[in-house]
Amino acid sequence: MTADQLAQRSETPERRIKWSYMDHWRSNGPAGPVDQWHSHRTMSSFLKQIKAVGFDAIDTFDFRLWQMYGDYGGPAKYQEMVQDHGLERIVNIFHAADYDLRNYAPHVPETHENILEDFRVTMGHWSSVELDNIIVMPATLYYDMEPVTEDKLKISAELWNKVGEITAGYGVKLTCHHEFFCGIQSEPDIEVFYSYTDPRYVSLFIDTAQHCIASVDPVALYRRHAHRVSGFHFKDTRNVAAGDDHRHRPDSEIMAPTTGKWFYEMGTPHGLVDFEAMMTAVRDNDYRGWISVEHDKANKDGGDYAESTAIARWYAVNVLEKIYR
Amino acid sequence: MTDIRWGYALNQWKPQFDDFVRREQHERALKTVSIAGFEGVELTAGTGRWEPLGNPQQLIANFGSLTGFREFLSGCGIAAVSSWFYDPQQRSMEHLTPPYSPLVAADVTGIVTRAEWFAGALAQLGGSVLVVRAAPSAGDVGPLDDAALRRLADCWTAVGRATLAHGVRTALHVDFLSSLRRPGALDRLLGLADPAAVGLAVDTAELTVAGLDPVEVIRRHRGRVWHVQYKDALAADTDEEYLQPHAEYSVRQRGGSREIPRWFAEPGAHGGLVDFAAVTRALLDIGYAGWVVFESDQSPHPATSALLGGYLLQRDLRPVTAAAVEAAAR
Repeated sequence: MTADQLAQRSETPERRIKWSYMDHWRSNGPAGPVDQWHSHRTMSSFLKQIKAVGFDAIDTFDFRLWQMYGDYGGPAKYQEMVQDHGLERIVNIFHAADYDLRNYAPHVPETHENILEDFRVTMGHWSSVELDNIIVMPATLYYDMEPVTEDKLKISAELWNKVGEITAGYGVKLTCHHEFFCGIQSEPDIEVFYSYTDPRYVSLFIDTAQHCIASVDPVALYRRHAHRVSGFHFKDTRNVAAGDDHRHRPDSEIMAPTTGKWFYEMGTPHGLVDFEAMMTAVRDNDYRGWISVEHDKANKDGGDYAESTAIARWYAVNVLEKIYR
Repeated sequence: MTDIRWGYALNQWKPQFDDFVRREQHERALKTVSIAGFEGVELTAGTGRWEPLGNPQQLIANFGSLTGFREFLSGCGIAAVSSWFYDPQQRSMEHLTPPYSPLVAADVTGIVTRAEWFAGALAQLGGSVLVVRAAPSAGDVGPLDDAALRRLADCWTAVGRATLAHGVRTALHVDFLSSLRRPGALDRLLGLADPAAVGLAVDTAELTVAGLDPVEVIRRHRGRVWHVQYKDALAADTDEEYLQPHAEYSVRQRGGSREIPRWFAEPGAHGGLVDFAAVTRALLDIGYAGWVVFESDQSPHPATSALLGGYLLQRDLRPVTAAAVEAAAR
């Protein structure tokens, strides 16, 4: 990449799309694999690598909050470190809740007050930084929700309408991310769910790989709901879920017998996601804002986060930005 | 704009002979280098069918032609092969030739022939520098007296004149096992060699491990600096263990008596001894024009090394070069 290309890459005024990196990461420490939260040095190394390939910002999990307070002085202080490495900010947080039929299940009304209180507290904790989205899986694991009925979808939608109202009070969109193993993952169920949600309070977050694995065309889904899509995870997969993959007990994401590794970086060979069609749809809908890149579990089967991140970003620059930027 | 072009050496991806042999591995490495902000790559000479990027014959065998390899590079976002590192002490399976020594007059013809082979290919691949190992390890050949330095100079002058015919310069690479690190030795060698045919490749880490300051070397040999490798050093050979026989194994690989786990690292590594901003300023001061190739030699995590190098380049070094350009314009 030449100096001119690098300069062009960093010029932002006419860009309609900015790129954020969802911060899954592992590296090799002297005592074995560590994540970036292992130390300030490993965090710095992670942020340098994200910046080096041209990302503009990062996304993170909201459960990192406690380490941000304990190790950095809070989200705002942690974000200062992010910014010291040339990145803009934290754009989105992923709310990784422990779904449980006893106290945290969107289709179980008795658990709703607990969930609502969770978001009141969570949003307060994060109020010191500007966020675009708080991302949720909008249902329990599939096997905890089945049979998926219209009534359960309606109850879930009503919960997220209320949660969205809370997050909107903090200027943050509540957006739903449909894992292939969650209770709302098929195309008909997704459609019914959104028919009951209030567009003012509930947005859709397109994860290209998760939808593909669930046999839902992410491009078509996006085109139908573009007006309420508030972000993307651009990641790839090589496999579509088969049989009971989506309802495998106790876990589908890393324990399904058919597939040891579901997720791959954008630009991987044999990927099933049509990213060029996806980016064309993004352009056609005049989407402006952030696209997040994700490849969780990239280190499985001998993979490497740094390399996957470089390949994904290379693909964004050399293929997708030629369609829309 | 400065006249510096930035490249990355691929050798860190091939710690063993059976590593980095498949096309998809090359593709991922090249894309990683490209997105990290580098426009060229440096190759290391190798021999045999498990060295697909090791020499022109293997490139043709794997990519159909040198043009085919150039197109493969371009498809990955890499503009050129900046340079090729060639150690004449490496035997050639392709030519059924034994190791050559630049100290042996009878070997010079063979070295020149091999250098031309690489230079001809380099010219087609957009490269401009053949980087050669200037002298064998000190522990294997003893001190370099005037006669030995004269033989080295004659050899590399012949090589340099031959590669220039292909538009490729020859630059002498001084590693920390070489007797050329001794006071005055490099000065004398460069003085004996034809200045139009032979230049210097500054390897920041090798010089630092050898106890030499790369900034001082650059300033002293301004005009002869034809190639630069940015590599960090994590330790110095303060006990002069390079004088031991077979130091390639006992010192360079094994780490010497202190068992240094890693002499070299990507530029800017934690604990690194090289001040790359200072080296860059020195290059700008002498008006250096050419390739600066980032290198780690080996890395426990090659992609990470490349990205950390890219960060240093973009965040710390490009501002240094940009400031120099602005100052020159005023």
